[in-house]
Amino acid sequence: MQKLMMVACTLVGLAAYATVAISAEDLVAAVKERRHLMKEVVAPNAKLGGQMVKGTVAFDTTKAAAAMNEISGVPDKYVKLFPKGTEHGAVKDSEAKATIWDDFDKFKATAQKLKDASAKAAGAAAQGQGTFTAAFNDMTKVCKECHETFREKLEQ
Amino acid sequence: MRRALLALLVVAVAGAVVFYVLTIPRTVPASELPAHKPDLANGEYMFTAGGCAECHATPEKKCNDPKTQDKHVLSGGRCLKTPFGVFNVPNISPDKEAGIGNWSTLDFVNALKRGIAPGGEHLYPAFPYTSYQRMTYADLIDLKAYLDTLPASKNVPPPHELGFPFNIRRGLGLWQLLYVDGKDFVPDPKQSAELNRGAYLVMGPGHCAECHSSRYLWGGIIKSEEFAGARNPEGKGTVPNITPSDDGIGDWSLNDISYLLETGNTPDFDVIGESMAAVQENMAKLTAADRDAIAAFIKALPARPDAVPKSEQKKKDAKDEDAAPGGDTKTGGSKEPDDGSDY
Ligand code: HEC
Ligand code: HEC
Ligand code: HEC
Repeated sequence: MQKLMMVACTLVGLAAYATVAISAEDLVAAVKERRHLMKEVVAPNAKLGGQMVKGTVAFDTTKAAAAMNEISGVPDKYVKLFPKGTEHGAVKDSEAKATIWDDFDKFKATAQKLKDASAKAAGAAAQGQGTFTAAFNDMTKVCKECHETFREKLEQ
Repeated sequence: MRRALLALLVVAVAGAVVFYVLTIPRTVPASELPAHKPDLANGEYMFTAGGCAECHATPEKKCNDPKTQDKHVLSGGRCLKTPFGVFNVPNISPDKEAGIGNWSTLDFVNALKRGIAPGGEHLYPAFPYTSYQRMTYADLIDLKAYLDTLPASKNVPPPHELGFPFNIRRGLGLWQLLYVDGKDFVPDPKQSAELNRGAYLVMGPGHCAECHSSRYLWGGIIKSEEFAGARNPEGKGTVPNITPSDDGIGDWSLNDISYLLETGNTPDFDVIGESMAAVQENMAKLTAADRDAIAAFIKALPARPDAVPKSEQKKKDAKDEDAAPGGDTKTGGSKEPDDGSDY
């Protein structure tokens, strides 16, 4: 019985410790990971797409589709990286507006829009530069929509 | 003693007379207005290029909400925080009491070209007539005619909240002496038609310099630092330098600038935000030729270093951040290289 109590206590203690651990390192890690996804995956692929749209990089069906598919792979992972307590001001470098948690369903729906729009742009690549351009520009409207509502931009 | 008092009185009276003369509202005489049949489509175009709705339409929820309700109902109510106090933007819908429904075209032209409202009231330059004064009479006549077609609103926004001496409108006459001459933009015959069109849109209706330039304490734009960036009056951070220098956007091509104005995407695919988002949405409604003209003019600006050193602003913001509750400083592991690129 005493042994059981001890185990129970330890477990409770561990659980408590784990919660504490979440509020320290894991929050920072979540912010780091989601920034990575935007900065190192979404933005560079969008940049490549943009360069093809502007004609500074030759349009290439396969490369354009691949870039858009990479973006399309992000949203599902992305929305899991917003634990409570990671809003702008609570964790260094976070640009997440508190509005994300006020209406998390809307945030998720906007992420889903990006997933759909980038998949559409990937499909449009096969139909040539003109179709791709239209689909690509539509996709970037979703970037803007989400940032306007949910992102608190840090200084330039 | 009596003599000294008398002298003082003379100086005071002389000062008052000088002040009175210097601050007499300077207006456009009716004879200067050309006969011009209003073109409503161009009026709407100028309304868009001028971003009138960004300030005069009612904000979505709070008075400083960047987003607005119906852009065609100019019922006012936005609040603008400035170093001089808070301005509550007035109703300029065609309502005869609450708005400007009783204003003649000449009244309207005087407000935009001279910063003077009917009755000789001086207007505050929080209304960027310092740029609008460069617009042509024809464009202003069209704009007025277009505004007359919009819905009237009875909304009466609260008065401005300004301390002494800024609450004395008459004093603005001195300021206007320095910064307002109502002269049309003068095209440079040595430059292409495209560049001149771009210059007109940027310096006139687009009022780009108003946000992108640093100012003296009294609010005048520092000409030698025009477009070289400024502190953000609305919050922290800076409004970027858009001259073609290393600090500015020297590495952007013409196409990059046009594309930003069309879509809101920077070359690094960060998405433009803050107050520029609304400006960009307006630019997206202009013709592609006009966006290219704006890009050509921006690209041809003199290259200037940042007027507000980024490092200085960062330090200030960091201080504000530390002072804020919950500011977390011990996690500073992920220092960004200061490449100033895609923040
Ligand atoms: C579902 C909402 C959403 C969509 C859609 C979205 N973003 Fe973001 N983005 C965010 C949020 C939120 C942040 C700030 C996150 C943080 O700091 O915690 C961000 C940050 C960024 C950053 C800055 C990264 C950094 O930390 O420096 C870039 C660049 C970016 N997004 C690019 C894009 C592009 C390009 C697209 C469209 C292809 C896009 N985003 C679509 C929500 C979104
Ligand atoms: C940056 C914000 C801003 C923009 C953009 C702006 N205004 Fe205003 N406007 C103001 C403010 C603030 C006032 C009040 C000035 C005062 O009380 O002296 C004002 C006043 C006016 C007045 C005088 C109203 C009155 O009752 O005295 C008119 C007319 C006017 N604006 C028209 C326009 C038009 C037309 C445009 C677009 C071409 C425009 N404004 C764009 C901020 C703005
Ligand atoms: C109401 C204030 C305001 C006005 C008016 C304004 N801007 Fe901006 N502009 C900004 C702000 C703030 C940013 C930074 C936005 C951001 O970082 O998301 C910006 C960013 C830019 C950028 C991108 C610079 C960079 O380094 O990323 C360009 C180019 C630009 N503006 C051009 C213009 C032009 C051209 C006009 C006139 C048609 C104009 N702006 C009018 C506030 C303004």
